[in-house]
Amino acid sequence: MPELADLCATAVEAAEGEEQVEAYAEERTSTEVEAHRGEVEGLSFSGSRGVGVRVIVGGRLGFAYAADPTEDEVRATVARARENAALATPDEHNVLPAAGPIEPLDGLFFESLAALTTAEKVPVALEMERVATTADPRVAKTDAVRYGDAVGSVAIASTAGVRAEYRGTGCWAVVVTLAERGDETQTGHSFKIARRLEDLDPTSVALEAVERSARMLGATKPETARVPVLLDPFAASSFLGVLAGALSAEAVQKGRSLFASLVGERVGSEAFTLVDDGRLLEGPGAEPFDGEGVASGRTELLTAGTLNGFLHNTYTAHRGGTRSTGNATRGYRSTPGVGSTNLFVQPGERSFEELLRQADGGVLVQDVSGVHSGANPISGEFSVGATGLRIAGGALGEPLREMTIASTVPEMLRAIAAVGSDLRWFSSIGVPSILVGEMTLAGI
Amino acid sequence: MLDRDLAAEVLRAARARGGDFAELFVEERIGLSVRLDDGRIEEVTTGQDRGAGVRVGHGASYGYAYSNRLDRDALLQVAEAAAASITGGGPGTVVDLRTLEPPVVHEATREAAGVAVADKVAWVREADDAARSLSPEVRQVASTYGDSVQRVLIATSDGRWAHELRPRIRLTVSVVAGRDGVIQTGFHGPAGLAGAEFMEANPPARTAEVAARRAVAMLDSVPAPAGEMTAVLAPGMGGVLFHEAVGHPLEADAVHKEASVYRGRIGEVLASPILSGVDDATVPGAWGSFSFDDEATPAQRTILFADGVLRGWLYDRIRAGTDGVESSGNGRRQSYAHPPIPRMSNTYILNGASSPAEILAGTERGVFVTSLAGGQTNPATGDFVFGCSEAYLIERGEVTTPVRGANLIGRAIEVMSNVDAIAADFDIWPGVCGKDGQGVAVGSGSPTLRISRITIGGTGA
Repeated sequence: MPELADLCATAVEAAEGEEQVEAYAEERTSTEVEAHRGEVEGLSFSGSRGVGVRVIVGGRLGFAYAADPTEDEVRATVARARENAALATPDEHNVLPAAGPIEPLDGLFFESLAALTTAEKVPVALEMERVATTADPRVAKTDAVRYGDAVGSVAIASTAGVRAEYRGTGCWAVVVTLAERGDETQTGHSFKIARRLEDLDPTSVALEAVERSARMLGATKPETARVPVLLDPFAASSFLGVLAGALSAEAVQKGRSLFASLVGERVGSEAFTLVDDGRLLEGPGAEPFDGEGVASGRTELLTAGTLNGFLHNTYTAHRGGTRSTGNATRGYRSTPGVGSTNLFVQPGERSFEELLRQADGGVLVQDVSGVHSGANPISGEFSVGATGLRIAGGALGEPLREMTIASTVPEMLRAIAAVGSDLRWFSSIGVPSILVGEMTLAGI
Repeated sequence: MLDRDLAAEVLRAARARGGDFAELFVEERIGLSVRLDDGRIEEVTTGQDRGAGVRVGHGASYGYAYSNRLDRDALLQVAEAAAASITGGGPGTVVDLRTLEPPVVHEATREAAGVAVADKVAWVREADDAARSLSPEVRQVASTYGDSVQRVLIATSDGRWAHELRPRIRLTVSVVAGRDGVIQTGFHGPAGLAGAEFMEANPPARTAEVAARRAVAMLDSVPAPAGEMTAVLAPGMGGVLFHEAVGHPLEADAVHKEASVYRGRIGEVLASPILSGVDDATVPGAWGSFSFDDEATPAQRTILFADGVLRGWLYDRIRAGTDGVESSGNGRRQSYAHPPIPRMSNTYILNGASSPAEILAGTERGVFVTSLAGGQTNPATGDFVFGCSEAYLIERGEVTTPVRGANLIGRAIEVMSNVDAIAADFDIWPGVCGKDGQGVAVGSGSPTLRISRITIGGTGA
């Protein structure tokens, strides 16, 4: 099989005349083990690779991709991208980035993960399932118990002189438990991601899912009330996803961001600082360069509630008269978009327990549903379903279900009273617990 | 794509350590998409994908492996990896591969690949023009056209040999409308298992007008009321709710994991006695249809509810085997890179006896939902939440003010039991359903229907 870098070089060599050509290649092998009732329910192995080619001629952009191509097929892919370019609208901002210095980023690849055998992975899933079904008498069943890992590499080359590659490893644990009492069933989720098995702590994932399902037994629908709302990291991460979309320069330039004209203004509480850092190794989204070969960097999007700017790729930066922040995101099947690398809320000083005391009389929200459909990314309005627990006397009280929270993203950002110290990563989003002053929780 | 001898050799390698059955799924997919945004043809993309997956089933468990490569060496390697999880068995047999006849064929009468790309570019331009000319308040239009042909070959150790060509086509339009700092969005995206003839029946200008009208109408909206009230769902929308809140808990994997609110309750009245619903992969040309599912089980129509009585589950091969029944033909996968799992195809609530005018006129106060933005369900508890992207108040039998930020929240059994009127104006709503990281094309459908009591989450009084 040809090396990824060689496939990219073949594409670049096929460039004709003045045209700009870029090839982005990816390769990934992955294993997933699913456990159920003490046995391996599913064992999957996968291997995939592919190349995506951009051709820019006179500002017109064409794109084509192919799965596992030979060098000849790469040349044919370049030809198809060239044909497609002829049909696109010319746009002066369609440019490839010039090659710049890229600092290597050590610590993305672990031989210990890459060398794991199937016989070593299977017990991880089985043990999680055993812990999940035996730790609490109310929790005897699971909906999903999964261990997965992947080894991947990326290469890129262009007529603008970009030549770069890197590789990385990752593993993850997912547990969804079912707690039962009489006719009632409650579910609890937990999830963790790491770069090597030594850092995953799968047992803690199983125990957390158990706790999150068991404590919801007996949940009732509360009366509608306006109360302090403490979002735990799981719930807060859902909202951060919506916020991330609005902070992309692409959304801003296309008139689809609620923050379009607010740079330099206070849009959130002083307690809220939001950072994207592609070189932060603690975050699962770390990479030495982005989907166009631009070096990753650190962008402070909001500082103490004040909006500083947006995330850019090369296109949006050229159009906006600024520099790419290294936030081109893509796979080989698509052209670069704009997205976060490691987007995280700067953790505060207070522990979760301190926030609980501060939120006395309020509600801890542990799960929100319908954010992707219930939130309008342009107006920032949302209305979502929520489950959680009452907070009484600084401790968690009775469980609550079938609540809805309706507000707007700007209102919620302004109402943040405190940010916890318990930062947690969900794929490439990092969030601690967040205490929102007061919100309406609709129930009966 | 592959000759029978090689397929049989791969299946034998997959059964080297036994197991109940082995299956080879080979796929080639070629597609084209055109994206217009902000008045510009941003991107024209062609894609080519191929690969093969081998599965070995053993009781309720399986081993799965796949590769992009289709040569003999790569396929035998994949077969060996898939067999790795099977322990303690001797080699299994592979019977002669016999061609299966499809129960229904979904053919393109005019292949999309035969249409010039320039004509496809013209379709998204037509959508852009139509949306912008509808109202000066239309601020932004994005339109994407896409067609693909998926060529599938499935061979199994018990002798199935099935070929299928699945042509898919879709044009979507998203519109942003604005007035005095208020911004609203509208979406429409018809889709079919068909060729270019689909675009004649669903002209881009009409799709664009529907999306633009939604966005502009919502500019006049007021915050939705909160609390329990009556909801009337426009054609298609009841199907979306039925898919999410009822269909997912009826998928046999949820049932087997005891994570279904319907488990053990076949034969009980768990919906309104006027409600009947099916999952039907045989509907000609429908987005969620196929000739064979991705395990080579012929497409079929499965009754889920008959007059409110729960009748059956949606099965794939492995879960059907565990229950000692035949698969319902619902074993589907996103691509060769994924093992099949129980999935819906076209999930429909069938026509009733009322008329939409009658239903609205008989509603004193409530919300009329004309577009849902999607939703989420917990199959174990039946709890669901749906965002409404277009909705109106109903006051004294009349549809009045548009409302925003409304969501529908409830529990599947209770809400389906509260359906007190169903009209006969059936319509469909195509979508891509995500489950376990796999997206598949599904259709939802229903006539206008009324839910007598449901919780509306909103910010208004």
